[in-house]
Amino acid sequence: MSIRIISPGLSTTVQDLGRPGYYHIGIPLSGAMDRLAARAANLLVGNPEEAALLEVVFMGPEIEFLQDATVAVTGAELPPKVNGEEKATWTSLAVKKGDVLSFAFLKKGARAYIAISGGIDVPVVLGSRSTYTLGALGGFEGRKLASGDVLPVGAGRGAAEGRTVAGELRRSPGAPAELRMLPGLYWHRITEAAGRQFLEDTWKVAPEADRIGYRFKGGKPLEFVPREPPFGAGSDPSNIVDACYPYGSIQVPSGTEPIVLHRDAVSGGGYFMVGAVISADMDLIGQLQPHTPARFVEVTMEQALLARNDRARLIDRIRQALA
Amino acid sequence: MTSDSIPSLTISMEGAGALLADAAGPVFSDACQQRIWALADRLREEPGVEEAVPGMNNLMVVFDPLRLDPASLEAIVARRWKEPVTGRAEGRLIEVPVSYGGSAGEDLLAFSAAKDLTPEEVVARHTAPIYGVAAVGAMPGFVYLSGLDPALSMPRRAQPRMAVPKGAVIVGGSQAGIMPVTAPSGWHILGHTALSLFDPLAEPPAAFRPGDRIRFVAREILR
Repeated sequence: MSIRIISPGLSTTVQDLGRPGYYHIGIPLSGAMDRLAARAANLLVGNPEEAALLEVVFMGPEIEFLQDATVAVTGAELPPKVNGEEKATWTSLAVKKGDVLSFAFLKKGARAYIAISGGIDVPVVLGSRSTYTLGALGGFEGRKLASGDVLPVGAGRGAAEGRTVAGELRRSPGAPAELRMLPGLYWHRITEAAGRQFLEDTWKVAPEADRIGYRFKGGKPLEFVPREPPFGAGSDPSNIVDACYPYGSIQVPSGTEPIVLHRDAVSGGGYFMVGAVISADMDLIGQLQPHTPARFVEVTMEQALLARNDRARLIDRIRQALA
Repeated sequence: MTSDSIPSLTISMEGAGALLADAAGPVFSDACQQRIWALADRLREEPGVEEAVPGMNNLMVVFDPLRLDPASLEAIVARRWKEPVTGRAEGRLIEVPVSYGGSAGEDLLAFSAAKDLTPEEVVARHTAPIYGVAAVGAMPGFVYLSGLDPALSMPRRAQPRMAVPKGAVIVGGSQAGIMPVTAPSGWHILGHTALSLFDPLAEPPAAFRPGDRIRFVAREILR
């Protein structure tokens, strides 16, 4: 049971829901950037939600199936084609041995997820099949896919064709994208006026936007409260004593361009952070294209927890709809 | 700081599912780091805590806020920080062979010149101490080492290099380290070691643990 990569697209990797629990040895979470879309893709083809699938960025791959399977494409609006015939996204498709899956041009979003019944059966490394390219671990040989790669696929019974996730159960960023954040960490290191400005400005996604982090441009530089630099911290006011960076934290090197750390970010370092984007909205960041406008919207802890609950309920509704 | 004074701890939320407990003062403190490790060990036992990750005189705690209320965790962290620190088994002493200078230690000459030292003096000062592994992280298997001779303290490069090779022996600020994988870094490259710090298929994958000690041994000095 396997698939053959005819052409890999721009940057296609094997991902699952990630590799939590290894920050203490410097290994980030990895896993799908839009986890809701990844779960939905797996459910559509009858896989467990945590099965490994392909994450595709901007441009789709071309894949030959070496056996019959059920396939679904979710996330970005990147229409799949089977033997050249365009098909719907967020819908289960039946493919036969020898069929070729390719893609039309991206219409909306940034990352699509291709689930195949049985799941991509690469070895589990530290509890996950996700690719972490910096550490050259997990996924298919620890790297993005290349032409000619043959990926093993597990045994799966598949699912009926034509199952679909209703539009109201999908999430996509608005315009501008509103990214809810909890100020915290070193928020006190910037002036009150700078904090207000940060939240009022409309930012734009910079070209440096990948699995490591999303950089934003176009807002005003942050003004710092003066301080004595502590040990190990550089003289730049944005330097701190090296600390751990969780997923979602917003780091602002030199106080100019915020970077939201995503699934493959380094797990620590010496730049200060002004807070963290709530986990429910990290999925949305994975769907932002460069130059998309975005705003940071302050929420309270209570609102952040409600958002977490809302997302858990949304996943439940998708589960029920596809049960 | 004396062993019986407790550094003040600043607790801040890192989003809804993580918090940072920061006790870093003007200088790195070994006693404070011992307390950080002890706090990490205790917090790992708390239901709802997913990971406790020591940094340099600070600690990140990752937790599930739907199981463990963030405000309750904050109170637990503050309380357990003050608990007495019991002795910890001394870590292993590991020798790290280094080839200093040359193309794999490309900053040695400029670093020495900036410090008004000869390359031999820099190497002598770099190999003299027994370093402590204060924290592991940032990159797979990366070690933050304490114990660098203050004479070798040097601000990071203004522009980080995009790819510092695996095995590079580096200095940044008052900290020393070794690159476990090829990755961007703004630290200065003094030499290179063939010792592997990280193997995802090994158990454990990271060669060093917090509390281990390291001595650099000069194999050669190239100009």
